[in-house]
Amino acid sequence: MIGRFATSTRLLVLLSALLLTPAFGQQPAPAPFTTDDPVLQAMQAEMGRSKAHLKLEDMSAPYYIDYRVMDIDEYNAEAAFGAVRSDVRTRIRFLRVVVRVGSYKQDSYFGQGEGVMDVVPLENDVLAMRHQFWLATDRAYKAATEALTAKQAQLKQYTVDQPVDDFAVAPPLQSIAPLAKLEFDSKPWLKTLEDATALYTTDPEIQSLDSSLKFQVVNNYFMNSEGTVVRNGQLLASLNISASTQAADAMELDRSHGYSVVDLKNLPTADKVLARTRKLLDSLKDLRAATLVDEDYRGPVLFSADASSDVFADFVGENVLGLKPDLGQPARTKGAWASSYKTRVLPDFFSVVDDPTLATFDGKTLMGHYDVDDEGVKAVRVSLIENGKLVNYLLGRQPIRDFPASNGHGRARIPTNNPGPSLGSLIVRSSETLSREELKKKLIDLCQQRDLPYGYYVETLGPRRAPRLLYKVWVIDGREELVRGAVFGDLDARSLRNDVVAAGDDVNVDNLTMNIPHSVVAPSILFDELEVKRANTNKNKLPEYPAPAAQPKK
Amino acid sequence: MKWFRSSALICVLAASVVPVAATQEHSSSTKNDILISTMQRELDRARSELQKHDPAPYFMSYSVYDQTVGMAIAGQGSLMNSTRTRRRSADVIMRVGAPALDNTHEENRVSALSSGTLPLADDPDAIAHVLWRLTYGEYRKASRAYLNVKTKTQVNAKEEDTSPDFSQETPQEHADYHSPATAPEQARLEKIARQCSGYLSKYPYIYSSIAIVTDQSSRFHFVSSEGTDVITPSATIRIAIEAETRADDGMDLMRVETFQAASLDHLPPDSEIAARVEKMATDLKNLRAAPVAEPFDGPALLSGRASAVFFHEVLGHRIEGHRQRGENEGQTFTKKVDQLVLPEFLSVTDDPTLRKLNGVDLGGWYTYDDEGVPASRVEVVKDGVLKTFLMSRIPVKNFGKSNGHGRSQPGAMPVGRQGNLIVSSTHTTKTEDLRQKLIDEVKKQGKPYGLYFDDIQGGFTLTQRSAPQSFQVLPIMVWRVYPDGRPDELVRGVDIVGTPLAAMNRILLTGDQTEIFNGICGAESGSVPVSAAAPAMLFSEIEVQKRSHSLNRPPILPPPGFDASGSPSPAKAGGQP
Repeated sequence: MIGRFATSTRLLVLLSALLLTPAFGQQPAPAPFTTDDPVLQAMQAEMGRSKAHLKLEDMSAPYYIDYRVMDIDEYNAEAAFGAVRSDVRTRIRFLRVVVRVGSYKQDSYFGQGEGVMDVVPLENDVLAMRHQFWLATDRAYKAATEALTAKQAQLKQYTVDQPVDDFAVAPPLQSIAPLAKLEFDSKPWLKTLEDATALYTTDPEIQSLDSSLKFQVVNNYFMNSEGTVVRNGQLLASLNISASTQAADAMELDRSHGYSVVDLKNLPTADKVLARTRKLLDSLKDLRAATLVDEDYRGPVLFSADASSDVFADFVGENVLGLKPDLGQPARTKGAWASSYKTRVLPDFFSVVDDPTLATFDGKTLMGHYDVDDEGVKAVRVSLIENGKLVNYLLGRQPIRDFPASNGHGRARIPTNNPGPSLGSLIVRSSETLSREELKKKLIDLCQQRDLPYGYYVETLGPRRAPRLLYKVWVIDGREELVRGAVFGDLDARSLRNDVVAAGDDVNVDNLTMNIPHSVVAPSILFDELEVKRANTNKNKLPEYPAPAAQPKK
Repeated sequence: MKWFRSSALICVLAASVVPVAATQEHSSSTKNDILISTMQRELDRARSELQKHDPAPYFMSYSVYDQTVGMAIAGQGSLMNSTRTRRRSADVIMRVGAPALDNTHEENRVSALSSGTLPLADDPDAIAHVLWRLTYGEYRKASRAYLNVKTKTQVNAKEEDTSPDFSQETPQEHADYHSPATAPEQARLEKIARQCSGYLSKYPYIYSSIAIVTDQSSRFHFVSSEGTDVITPSATIRIAIEAETRADDGMDLMRVETFQAASLDHLPPDSEIAARVEKMATDLKNLRAAPVAEPFDGPALLSGRASAVFFHEVLGHRIEGHRQRGENEGQTFTKKVDQLVLPEFLSVTDDPTLRKLNGVDLGGWYTYDDEGVPASRVEVVKDGVLKTFLMSRIPVKNFGKSNGHGRSQPGAMPVGRQGNLIVSSTHTTKTEDLRQKLIDEVKKQGKPYGLYFDDIQGGFTLTQRSAPQSFQVLPIMVWRVYPDGRPDELVRGVDIVGTPLAAMNRILLTGDQTEIFNGICGAESGSVPVSAAAPAMLFSEIEVQKRSHSLNRPPILPPPGFDASGSPSPAKAGGQP
């Protein structure tokens, strides 16, 4: 696997060395493209004009142009305490134009040369859309010309010459998928949001109960001057419930639950949402009654697959991105694993891939699935960590040292960012696995070896990886006792590498929709040592006066 | 910094509007109004509960703005965005301490306010819960701030103005359930936006243009612990059309036309809108060819609309009451009460109770301000002498009461703001004779030319002490008027600059017709609709400077659908390039 990769790397380095002259048409001429899609027609018309004529006197013409249109149709609704507070449908078409001057080796992609944004008409009026492409292209070209000069001036301050190309060559690709549509009736959904949040009446101690809904269809259109044309559409739907309360000592407690799907049919029924909300409220009741976590603990901690997938998302997911360092910085990437290539980053029983080509895992939908990335490069399965060793990074078309080509992970944040290396579906596997019972037994055994009366089991994590549901697991009888108010002291990439001693045979599929839809799949894991301490929170007071009593129904 | 400008996104300009009586949709009493009765009940409960705490609030109010906003945006005759949203914004205001000194003192004003969103349906339990959450959160904020204020006033030297922090006002009861207009269908807004933006697509030199149609209707609900209970409606529809071009030297040139009325049927007919948009295109064409203005100091004539904007910036913002106290304010006029601040022939009132002037709907019309105080006509300057300020419930030395000018957008603390600022004159000549008077003044001063300012896109003014007390007004259509009979010459790239006291005392004479500028004004309490009205004015001296501008060239390629000569190209639509 590694050997084969090296071969293609060498080939691409050779290829890019041949491609220094800044002019269009270095790529093999793609097949002529015809379309009846008005957005693509408008793109094609302006791309043609720009390639042929866009040039300032005495300045270089662009060597690369791309157009990206993100057509976003979005529905948002929100309810609190049994009543809808907002209910809005919006549609907008964003445009991003990137013009590069210079060459693949060194170009204008820097500062203001990183592209310009605009809005395109929603109606399929080709001439009106072309007008916006025309203006944005003109702005982007002028900005790029200035950016290249600024970049070259800045590079003169550094002694390092530029060892890595600015832009990777990628073969032209044409892929036209059907457009996605957002069709639904909002009424039953609003009722579900209201019914779920009306459950606040079942517990007078509940201080807030909110629900929100977001249905979003994004149709992406991409075209570049190398002949790549891509159209694809995706639906993302999410429904979230969140609630808060305070314990008798005024500690603030909150919980939330979210559903994320790519097909409205897969959203839960109203009954299921209500049942889940009741469960959420019950868990808050349990948390209020739970004892405060002890001040100090250092010892074994078992993470459920749900909690573990959050940990892998942060400490592996963030660090495998091949983000090019800022100008003049010699590092390989911006992440914590910039100098960890071919070194051990996880226990040797773990292997990690990112595979956007999978639509499901274990029968569950993967939101990180796509065929072509946002730079028009085919999605590729990338083996990132093999037997604990880091062997690759996720890459878009911006190369990093030793990795000159995209592996189809150039993805853009919705709605407006430029593409960059991002996760698709990060899948963590362990070569040795234990059942839930075996893991718990191992946790208790480790505690016994160290004369600890209990260990910890984390079921879910909240923001900043603070445990939401955390249980003491008593050595004496295996009893699990809910506690509240804990944070981890030293949970980081280093502890993940050094202190994980076992993994479960279960897996959790975590679908995350914020910014870029992606998935993280991971098993439960056992740390043999981790610090658990009392959260240093400013305790607010309890409300100065009680919640309003319900009005008699007329 | 305060601004008043005509960018299409935020500002407006009135068209001549046919007055039509307000339509009455329905009326009901507050007894059946679940929203206001729930607000009242929660307020009473909070007041009696929080009395038990130390420090206790001495004043509380709930403001709820139930707003529906429809917006359609189009460019090149094609729709870019269309939304209709309804929102109920709730502002909880709480004052802890006593009127003499409370948590809002000096820079702590924002500690009195917490904002949130209420349910859209009249669900009393849900509304009460949201208000409860906001109220106890606000109590914590206000009481914390009050402790800081108390300490700080003991540590710091005594302030110059020892006025209390809150004025005493008579409680008000007023419930107006009239709906001033029936909201048009969204499709209608979309059609107008398409049509207005389409007029400009035939001009290749207008690079960028946009039409924004906004329809807003709102009902304001206010209850306070003093027993005030106010419900008032408001509605506006506005069309803003913005067109841009660029001169060969890189100067961006923009024209904005806006049409505003209380309802759709008050707007001018399509033919008039079309004609005004065509005029924008002509203006821009002429501006591109016009020479760049040179720095100049000499006689100038401002049209009524230009004078109105000038007064809004230069005088209006400096007579807002709260700016007369506070250690950071420039206080240009604080100690000028009963002194001459304008030529004796000029008087200035701010009259929010005026719904129309010369048949035009005024944007700064309201019946009650955002503190539940009745709007009132305020004679600010009488025969050149400063009499008073535009007061919210923030007292200043010698002015202890509000005069109904406490204004804010939802989510901001009200302060003294302008409503309808109206300048009147007793030293007038026929407006059409003013050009000759300008020429006479040019000859008298021996200047090569005078300037005529026809249209102004807006301006801004600095009132803080840390900055120079200056203003800048951004004119668009400016002509050089020559004394030797040569035709007037359009110039571009002019900014009027100056300091307020000096500039206003150089007014020699005014026209006899009042012109109106409707706009949106932004300051620390947010964006509020305002009007300014004034006659044309002849100044003995106005100083102008060159406007800074980008050096970007016009677009390299001709617009799609046109060839390099600016003629429509044969293949109008897309497809193969």
